[in-house]
Amino acid sequence: MTLLAHLLLLATILAPLGLLATAVTAQGRLRLPALLVYAPLPGLAAALIAGPAPPLVIYADWLRLSLDLDAPGALLLGVAALLWSAAGAYASAYLPGATRFAGWWLLTLAGSLGVFIAGDLVTFYFAFALVSLAAYGLVVQDATRRARRAGAIYLALAVLGEVFLLFAFALLAVSIPGQSLAIADAVAALPNSLVRNETILLLLLGFGLKAGLVPLHVWLPLAHPAAPMPASAVLSGAIIKAGIIGLIRFLPFEGGIAGWGLALGVLGFLTAFYGVALGITQRNPKTILAYSSVSQMGVVMAALGFGLAAGDAATPLDAARYASHHVLAKGALFLGVGVALATGARRAAWIMAPVLLLVLSFGGLPLTGGALAKEATKAQLGAGVLGWLSALSAAGTTMLMLHFADRLRAGLAETPEASAPPGLILPFAVMTAGALLLPWWLYPAAVKFWPALWPVLLGALGFLALRNWGGRLPRWPEGDVLIFAERAAARVAPPLAERASRIEATLRAWPSAGLALLVLALLLGLAMAVAA
Amino acid sequence: MEATPGGFLLVLILVAPVTGLLIGFAQGGRAAERIALWAAPLGVTMAMVLLAGVLHAQAPIVAFVGGWAPPLGLALRADGLAAAMLMTTAVIIAAITLFARADYTTLPGAPEARAPLAFWCFLLALWAALNAAFLGGDLFNLFVALEMLTFGALALACLDGRATQFKAELRYLLFALIGSVFYLLGTALLYGAYGTLDILLLSRTARSDAPTIVAASLMTVGLLGKMALFPLHLWLPAAHAGAPPAASALLSGLVVKASYVLLLRLWFWVMPAALLLAVAPILALLGAAAILFGSLVALRQARLKLLVAYSTVAQIGYLFLMFPLVAGSAAEVAERAWTGGALQAISHAFAKAAMFLAAGVIARGMGHDRIAGLHGAARVAPLSVLAFGLAGLSLMGIPPSGGFTAKWLLLQSALYAGQWWWALVIVAGGLLTGGYVFRVLSAAMRAPSPDFMPAAPVDARQERVALGLAIISVVLGLLPLAAFGLVLIGR
Repeated sequence: MTLLAHLLLLATILAPLGLLATAVTAQGRLRLPALLVYAPLPGLAAALIAGPAPPLVIYADWLRLSLDLDAPGALLLGVAALLWSAAGAYASAYLPGATRFAGWWLLTLAGSLGVFIAGDLVTFYFAFALVSLAAYGLVVQDATRRARRAGAIYLALAVLGEVFLLFAFALLAVSIPGQSLAIADAVAALPNSLVRNETILLLLLGFGLKAGLVPLHVWLPLAHPAAPMPASAVLSGAIIKAGIIGLIRFLPFEGGIAGWGLALGVLGFLTAFYGVALGITQRNPKTILAYSSVSQMGVVMAALGFGLAAGDAATPLDAARYASHHVLAKGALFLGVGVALATGARRAAWIMAPVLLLVLSFGGLPLTGGALAKEATKAQLGAGVLGWLSALSAAGTTMLMLHFADRLRAGLAETPEASAPPGLILPFAVMTAGALLLPWWLYPAAVKFWPALWPVLLGALGFLALRNWGGRLPRWPEGDVLIFAERAAARVAPPLAERASRIEATLRAWPSAGLALLVLALLLGLAMAVAA
Repeated sequence: MEATPGGFLLVLILVAPVTGLLIGFAQGGRAAERIALWAAPLGVTMAMVLLAGVLHAQAPIVAFVGGWAPPLGLALRADGLAAAMLMTTAVIIAAITLFARADYTTLPGAPEARAPLAFWCFLLALWAALNAAFLGGDLFNLFVALEMLTFGALALACLDGRATQFKAELRYLLFALIGSVFYLLGTALLYGAYGTLDILLLSRTARSDAPTIVAASLMTVGLLGKMALFPLHLWLPAAHAGAPPAASALLSGLVVKASYVLLLRLWFWVMPAALLLAVAPILALLGAAAILFGSLVALRQARLKLLVAYSTVAQIGYLFLMFPLVAGSAAEVAERAWTGGALQAISHAFAKAAMFLAAGVIARGMGHDRIAGLHGAARVAPLSVLAFGLAGLSLMGIPPSGGFTAKWLLLQSALYAGQWWWALVIVAGGLLTGGYVFRVLSAAMRAPSPDFMPAAPVDARQERVALGLAIISVVLGLLPLAAFGLVLIGR
């Protein structure tokens, strides 16, 4: 059993990469899009059976790699693999013959599943870099001006996140006693590290960027609408979870850290409400979904934050449960957008009914998977003010998601008889069923009816108000605060670059180079004379 | 110090390219090309045997030329660093031999031409000079090697014979000669003070007195000039960007590393620790400035080859960050920093050679190397764009590349040593590197205009060579850290 589990863990990362390797032949390239559906299956199998296996540490003479699957990791790995598989099937119907897209897809997939099972700092960093950087290829697939701008901003922020994490990981590695690089050892050493606060700040910046923590969320509302449907689904469903699993893995929930936990919790709630507030000003269904993702990840981070503040060791699993519902439901909705755009008014009910169910599931309507997800974070966000805040955010989410459904209905195909091809409908149906039912199997719980219902009703009222008076809201550009950053950069960067080139021209003139030579010789001599 | 078994291998490594050069020069371009083709695998084999020997003995291999021990005779020493650099050199030269066949071949029966003969002869000469620079055991020998290197590199760089090329390479020549004068003055002072130039003998007797200090600063500045460390980089961008692709790859990848190894020998073998401690922060500060400034200027370049050249200016800076981290740190931290520095030198050699070769192929295929006009390059030269991207990953320090391991080691030792400001420079440099690599890739990946026509067909073999070097620079990161213990042997 252990051997099988280990093989599956390895195959989780290697299967997508191996499939990519078949693209060296022209024939392999042509087959690639049709095989996307199978690539995540080893990951799915690993999540199903590999749970309690001991960590796999490959420390051969030629490779350092350790893979480890704990309960939160297994949960997220399983649902993410399911989404990747469904979206892969969807992609081969949506973008037939897009071989380069399929290549980026497989790279991103390997990294996306890799972060859930990485057991040491270097493997985690590798997987994280892979998912972050390769996703650029998914964002820019459409090759429009808008996609390129979104891609450039996405990549810049992704690399910035990498830099934060590299720094954080180096600090972690330095504080581990001995040679180990295991994440578990790093987290154990973190609370007593001399550079604890710096490390945690860098971790929050790096993972927050990926998970959309305000104000680092700006890439999400740009990248999601610009990418093709299946790519948006995995971006929002699976890829941003790399940030969540990072926080789950690297924050010391066992002992807890009150100050940082509180900070993360407050920022999380701020993100949750900010996402709703900006989302309702949007008109593009995909942008609305992106802001909803920002908001939902805010709730997860709030749960993580307050769990960290309380030192609640159950937080990782609880937060993973909440996030796993988001993987399924948001993935399903993005796939649904593509289905809806290809469906005419005559068949609208067939698509709008499941979409409405998913929408209400986000708000935590009783009997849906979303209600169970909300129940899972009761321990962190259930009591007192936090309980009210989380109920209000559920109401806000309901309002935002109803707004999404409304905008989606307005975007149905123009010919009433149009219907989406089965290659799009089937993955959508699978994901919808998964979002609504899987939580019952994965984390069943008894949900009290009324406390779960009233936020949904409140949200519905809010939506009615929004429909009537929403026209008066100011219209925010996608990526909101980013616009200011771009303007500031446009003002500051050219003079700076100008200055650099002018200095460069001076330095490259002979007189200054000769002078530099002499000054350097004198400087070195003086420094040594002083020391000697 | 005694000569060790296997010393004949060191002599062989030096003599083989020189013999090839002499025969090739006498027999003409076609023979020189054949000799180079045979010498490439031979060189890799010899370097491998030497590397295995050093690893096996866990000690340097030493030979005395003519059986005379220093101070009377000359010593050749192959420690771990030298073995690693020889291996790097052999592989890159072999790759460049394969790459250059498409450009500098002489068909049977074709009349003798200047360019092929000069290319193959100077390639062999350059190789001999590099080997001598890594193996040399005394400071004057090393000077001779450096001079050979400069002239060999210069000849290769001017091969096309264009006026702009001559102008750029003349700057290089002048600056390299000024550097040589400084270095030679320093050696003369040392010889006057100690009566020997053998590195090991000097390391036992070197004092912190006035002649030593003057010699050290002169020699250091001379070598910095030859390495084009900021702000002494005036010659590098034009010289490296103006040369033919094969020569650019050699210049940027290997030639600057020879001066670097010499600088390491000077400071970590010859000079007393007290002086090193005083100089190390200054060197690292210049390195940090090079990283930030070079990357910023690279971001602004309009031409692909100039961008790659400025990237060299920046990446050379990383080599200097190890000085304050090795000097005066605990043994374990110093080992990490040393390994990181050496690995940076090696992985940059592979990555930069790959980048220049790829840039050369792209420029030929597109008919120009203006970055803004590179749309469609990914279609014209797909493997070259891939090679450029992979090499870029290594330069940025994205895992699992060799550049990542190098920067990770430097980063860690900076934090261990409590000198976190170098860590900031390392990560900021990675960010800027990402910027300029992205500029090139995003332009190259864009679809061309409908009426776009490639300027010239692209040679698939050349593309594969560039890609192979790029893959090596990435795969280096998959080696376990223990393998890099090699560069610690004989430190």
